[in-house]
Order: sequence, then structure tokens, then C-alpha cells
Amino acid sequence: MTQHTVPPTVAEPASALVLDARDVAIHFGGVKAVDGVTMEIAEGKIFGLLGPNGSGKSTILAGITRLVPLKSGSLTFDGRPYDDVPTFKLARWGMARTFQTVRLLGDLTVEQNILLGADVGRSSGVSRRAAATERKECVADVIDRTGLAKFVKWTPSELSYGVQRRVEIARAIVMQPRLLLLDEPVAGMTKSEKLEIAALLSDLRAQGLTQLLVEHDVQMMVDTCDHLYAMNFGKLIGEGVPADVVKTPAVQEAYMGKGWRADA
Amino acid sequence: MQELINAVSLGCIYMLFAMGMSLVWGTLDVLNFAHGSIFMFSAFSGFYLMQETGNSLPLAALLLVGVVVGALMSVLAYQLVLRPILRRAKDKDSAERQILIGGIGLAGIPVAIVQIQTLSNPFSFRAGSFEVASYDFLGARISNIQIVIWVVGVLLGTAVVLWLRRSRSGLALRSIGVDSEVASLMGIDQGRLGVAAMAVAGGMAGLSGALLCVSFGALTAESGDVLLLKAFAIIILGGVGSMLGTIIGAFFLAGAETLLIANTSGTWVDAVSFGLLFLVLLVRPQGILGRQEVRRT
Amino acid sequence: MSAWYDAHLILVQATFISFLVALSIQFPMRMGVFSFAGVANYALGAYTAAIVVVRSDEIVSPVVSVGAGVLVAVVVSLILALIVRRLRGLYLAMATISVSLIVQVIAFNGGELTGGASGMFGVISDLTIGSVIVVCVVAAGILTWTERGTLGRRIDAVRDDPELAVSMGINVNRYRLVAFVGSGVFGSLAGGLEVLLRSTISPVNVGFSLVVTALTIIIVGGYRSWVGAAIGAVIVTWLPFYLQAMERYQQVIYGLFVVVAAIFVPGGLLGIADQARRRLVRRQLEHEDQEAAAEQDAGGAAVVDAVGASRKEEAR
Repeated sequence: MTQHTVPPTVAEPASALVLDARDVAIHFGGVKAVDGVTMEIAEGKIFGLLGPNGSGKSTILAGITRLVPLKSGSLTFDGRPYDDVPTFKLARWGMARTFQTVRLLGDLTVEQNILLGADVGRSSGVSRRAAATERKECVADVIDRTGLAKFVKWTPSELSYGVQRRVEIARAIVMQPRLLLLDEPVAGMTKSEKLEIAALLSDLRAQGLTQLLVEHDVQMMVDTCDHLYAMNFGKLIGEGVPADVVKTPAVQEAYMGKGWRADA
Repeated sequence: MQELINAVSLGCIYMLFAMGMSLVWGTLDVLNFAHGSIFMFSAFSGFYLMQETGNSLPLAALLLVGVVVGALMSVLAYQLVLRPILRRAKDKDSAERQILIGGIGLAGIPVAIVQIQTLSNPFSFRAGSFEVASYDFLGARISNIQIVIWVVGVLLGTAVVLWLRRSRSGLALRSIGVDSEVASLMGIDQGRLGVAAMAVAGGMAGLSGALLCVSFGALTAESGDVLLLKAFAIIILGGVGSMLGTIIGAFFLAGAETLLIANTSGTWVDAVSFGLLFLVLLVRPQGILGRQEVRRT
Repeated sequence: MSAWYDAHLILVQATFISFLVALSIQFPMRMGVFSFAGVANYALGAYTAAIVVVRSDEIVSPVVSVGAGVLVAVVVSLILALIVRRLRGLYLAMATISVSLIVQVIAFNGGELTGGASGMFGVISDLTIGSVIVVCVVAAGILTWTERGTLGRRIDAVRDDPELAVSMGINVNRYRLVAFVGSGVFGSLAGGLEVLLRSTISPVNVGFSLVVTALTIIIVGGYRSWVGAAIGAVIVTWLPFYLQAMERYQQVIYGLFVVVAAIFVPGGLLGIADQARRRLVRRQLEHEDQEAAAEQDAGGAAVVDAVGASRKEEAR
């Protein structure tokens, strides 16, 4: 096992899978929060994970990021198994995430919070000075693209909820990740704010960023994702083209309750 | 046999002290660091009153003073310091930290007052106001004070356990410990129950202070701090929130300490509890009877 | 100046030593490690330095005796950090308080080596207050570096949200280890330097009251920066001197300080200053905001005017 945890090598992975989660199970005591889920996240696409509250969505994210241990199953990132790699190393490998709740540091300004993401030491072989310049440009670029230029000197408590969530996303993007995991990024946002975020994610995909989006908003999932997984009771209940997946009876029943029709 | 009698007496006192602390910790989420100085100051109040009245206080009066002073201090600490901190803290972690810091500050006040009053010398209830008699008991000596301690210990220990298990207010209190939000939705008045729990805890601390002062002969201003850490070890050993665990822990520690005193010079006795605490925290942080916390995301 | 200095030498010394003691608890606290092992480290540093000085036949340089204390404390801190690595918050705090008290019990029972209850005397050295000040300045310099830029942000993240910190690629466990080692260095420096300045040490000096004093300094001054520890050290050392009536009730008033601060100003004096600064910045930002909005309005009005004007022209 351990010889696989050697840092990045030149060898390109055989498959173009960024993340390969195979038969993942996570148990808390006797509770089977995640029970044998397989997900294959291919490069350059937005994957969606849909499911009602308590279905195990956030838990599987915690498992993927190694915040909670797996009961069984295997995890591979860019062709490298990482079942015994600590979370902080994954971040350096290029796995960035946002959390379900706003997790900004209250004592820092928006700019400082975003810089925290830029600080992640990803060895790229360039000189320190060049890296610092590049980092600065990247931060400025991300602040611009997320429309946060106006708020850089503010502290989180002075911002609206929607703006706070944008800062979270900005902080994850400046990590220049290979894979971005988003845990309900638009929860509690207004319609127009949601559209803005969706546009931002599509824009990132155009630049080749692979994403896994965990969300409630069915419409947004159908509009934004290339491939959708649906979960309930810790298991996958559907997978495939988003518009088709949400129409399957199992998903409709589990997620929307009986009597709901996607084509209504 | 003599050791057993001494261990049970000491265990009863530890139990009274630790049960109160466990009660407020398990239900109100308050680790009251001032619990030790409440214990000490209650005993000191008895001593002070005794001096003022010219040694004419009977044992029962000393114990009563201990209970009343302890309950009063405990409730004041809750209303004036601990509750405001809980109310103002921004999250659970900082509440926990602020409660501990505030408690340490609070604990320092009675300790400093008693240090000034006694010039840091030990204080004791002078003999004369009550008589110490010893009886033969299965080949060992047992004093009337030890008998009082046993009786009080058994009665109060049982009463608290029954109160928590059987009575409406006890159940309500336990529900706060499980989930305070749900408890308040169910119409449980946390303020009044909190005050009641703090009063019971303080009263038991005061009583144990008076009893320990009588049976050991003397206390110092710092006695409470050491006992507080012992009680912490006891509660950790038994598992936070488990009254039965606390009782077992109290007698276990008392037994271990009594054995050590019987076989050595006794100067290392305080290291037993600290070592024990350390060991339990490492091996089984949830305690003997504690449950592992279930994590939900 | 010199006369004043001679008269107040003890207080000057006490200020710098208190500063170091406070750092031994504040430094780990800044990284979210709520440990009181600093007091144990103080005791280890003091006793080791004293033993080295008293036991050797020749005059020992302070660098050697204090250095020995630091070494012992750092080794013990590393071992402690490994043992308590799974403990957090309250449990860690209580476990480390018991470690401090175990060290005190050991000092009591050390027999000839530690001098038992009466402690050790005649710890003579040529240490000057100047060296102590140099140590404090160097410490402040290093801490300033840890409070700024990338490192400062990372430490904030480790303290306020460890789960977030690991997701940001920060090796939180390594920071926690550094917290313990730092506490060992600061605490043992304080103990070693103090024992050389005062020439005596006894178990009474390394007990629970030291925890309260250190905590008072941090809570009054503020826990987020060494500046807070410095402010607190000055106040706690000099206030009793200027308020003579306080001297007797010093510990009572410390207790009250801590209680009041814990309820009303968890950030200490430094926190109050920070808040005031934030408020100022915020007012400025809002002002700029309004100006920008006003400009936009003015621009809008100009457009309306222009449209109006053109309409008028059309009407003609």
C-alpha cells in the first residue's frame, strides 16, 4: 500500500479518471451512512451528486477527503491510491473543497481568507519569487471572476450570506485544484445568485476544472452537470445523464416524494 | 479492615463532591472549575463561624453551614458568571474555553481570601464542640464521624440517582444534557432547572468540605484545587454523565489512595489521581461506563 | 533614571519573566492547543537550571544551566505531545493541569535533588537583566514572524477551524507539535532565568497560582498576539505596585479580572483595540461605498438630464 503514496510522478494515469471511488462504505457505529458507493469522476466534467437530507452525500465527501475513515472500499486520485494519505496532503495534490456551512475565518478579511487557499504549497518547480507573483495574479484573477473585488477589505460577518458563499468558492478555486468538491454551494441563495454560481462553475469547466457538485436544487443539477449520481439511504439509486436520472421512478420517489413528475 | 473503613469514608466524600460536579457537567455542559473552592470555602465558613461564636457549634450546624454556603456560592457562580458566558459565547468550543477560564478566575477568589485570612496555614474545626468517639467494628476502629459520613453518603448518593432517574425534574434535567434545544422546545425551563442543579451540586460540595474537614482534622486554602482535579479524574474514569460511573470512580480512587497511604509515607498520594486521570484519558477517553459520541454530518 | 531603576529592579525583572511565562501558555493557545503544560515547563526549566548550578563545582554559564532546562523541557514536551495527541479542548486542558501538578508533587518528593518542600537555595550566577531582555526581544521577534503573512493565516486556521485547515493543505498535527515544543521553550526559559535571578526555587512557586497568574496576563492583554501578553505582563506586574491597597488582595483582584474578561471581553485589551480598528475600517468602507453609489446616482441623473434635453430638442 505505502509505496503508492509517493508524491506525483510523471507517469500519466492509464484512465482519464481524476477520482475513482470504488465500493466505498462508511459506518458510524452501527449506522451505515454510506454503503458500497462507486463513483468515477472523469476529467474536465461537472459531476453531480443528488440526494435527500441524510442520504449520505456529505458523508461520502468526508470520506473522499479522508476526514472520516472508510469501512471498506478504495480511493484513487489521478491514478494514485490514497487510502492512507492524510487530508492535508490531498489538498496539496490538488483536491479542493467547500463545506456545507460557511467556514470562513471570522477574524480575517475576505482577501486574507482567499489567500489562505493560495498558500497551499503545490510544488511546481518554479522559483519562490515566480511562484509568489503567479499566486498574486491568480488571486487577483479569482477575486475578479467571483465579483468580490468590492469586498476584499471586509470581514465575513459584514457580508451577506450569498457573498460569504462566493468567498468560500473563491478560496477553493485559488488552490488551483485538479478536482473541486462543492458541498451544497447554492443552498439558501436567491435565484439570480444561483445562476451566477452556475455560470461560474460552467466557466471553470471550460477551463478544464473537474468538479463534483453536491446539491439539492434539481433544476440546477440538470442544467449544470454532465453526469449525475443519485443517492438514498447510503446507496446509489441512479446514475447517468442528469435529465434522464431525475426522471427515473426510484429517484423521483426517493428525492421528490411520490407524486412528483419531472416532466410536469 | 481498617483500610477498608477509611477507604469507604474517603470514597463517600469523593463521591459527594464528584457527583455534584458530574451533575452540572453532564446536564448543563458546565465544567465548574470553582467547584473545588466552593468546597473549601464552605468548610472555611464553618470554621469562621465557629471562631466567632466561641466554639459552640454542634456538628449538625457545621454541616448545615457547609450545605447552605456551598449551594449559595454555586448558584451565584452560575447566575453571575457561567450563565452569562454561555449566553454570550459565539460557539461551543469558545464557550467551553471561556467557561474554564472564567471558572479558574472564579476559583482563585475564595482561595485568595482564605489564604489572607489564615495566612496560608491549615484551618480546622477545633475539638470540643462535638465529640469523636470510636467503636470496635469487626476488629477495626470506626469513629462516629465516619458513621455520619457513611450514612450521609449512602442517603445522598441514592437520593441523587433516584432524583435523576425517577422524578420529573430529574428527567427534564437529563434531557437538557442530551439535547438542550429539543428540551427547551418541549417547554423545559432550563434557567430554573440549572439553578436547581447548581444548588444541589454546591450543597453537596459544601457538605463534603465540612465532612472532610471534620474527619481529616484540617484543610488548607488549596485543598479544593487538588480535589477538583481528583474529581475530574473520577468523572473521566466513570464516564461523563454517568452517575454510576462517578460513584465507582470515587470509591476506586479512594481505595487506591488509601492503599498507597497505608504502604508508603503518603507524600505521593496526589500523584495517584493525576496519573490515573492521564491513563484513562489515553486508554479509554469515554470512561468505563461512558458512551462513544456518535458523529453526524 | 538609574535610581529609579535600582528601586524597581525586581519589578522590571518580574515583568519580563511574567511575559515569558504567559507566552508558554499563549503560544499553544494561538494554535488551538489549550494546554497548561507551560507551568510544568517552567518548573522543569527552573529546577534543572538550579540543579546544574548547585551541583557543579565550577561556575556555570547561564547559557549552559538555562540551556539544560530548555532541553529537558523540550524533550518532555515532545513526549507529552505524543501521549496527549488525541485529546482536545477541555480534556487537554485538564490533563495538562494535572501534568503541572504532578511535576509539583515530584518537586516535593525529590528529596536531596530538589530540596523537598523547602526547595533550593543559593543558585548563584552572573545572569543580568540585560540578557533576559535580549531573550524576550528575540522571542517577540520570532513571534511577530509567526503572526504575519502566510504563517499567521495558517495558524489562525489551525486554531479556529482545524478541519478547514487540513482541507487547505495544512499539516495541523505538525502545528500542534510545534505548539507543545514552543510552550516547552518559553516556559523553561522563564523558569531557568527566574531561578538564576532570584537564586531560589520551591514547590510553592510552581503550583496552581502560577497557572492563574499566567492566565490573567493572557486574558487581560489578549490571546491572539504576543503584544497582548506584553500588555498583560506590564499590567499584572505593575498595577499592584501602584495600588498599594491591592497588594494584599492581589490574587483576589486577578481572579476578578479573569472573570470579568471571560464574560465581557474574551479578546482582552488587544481584542478591544482590534475591534475599534475594525469599526473604523468598516466606517471608511461604508463611506466609500456610499460615495460610489452617489457617483452612480449622479451619473444616472446626468443621463436622465441628457435624455430630457434631447426630448426637449425633439419637441422643438
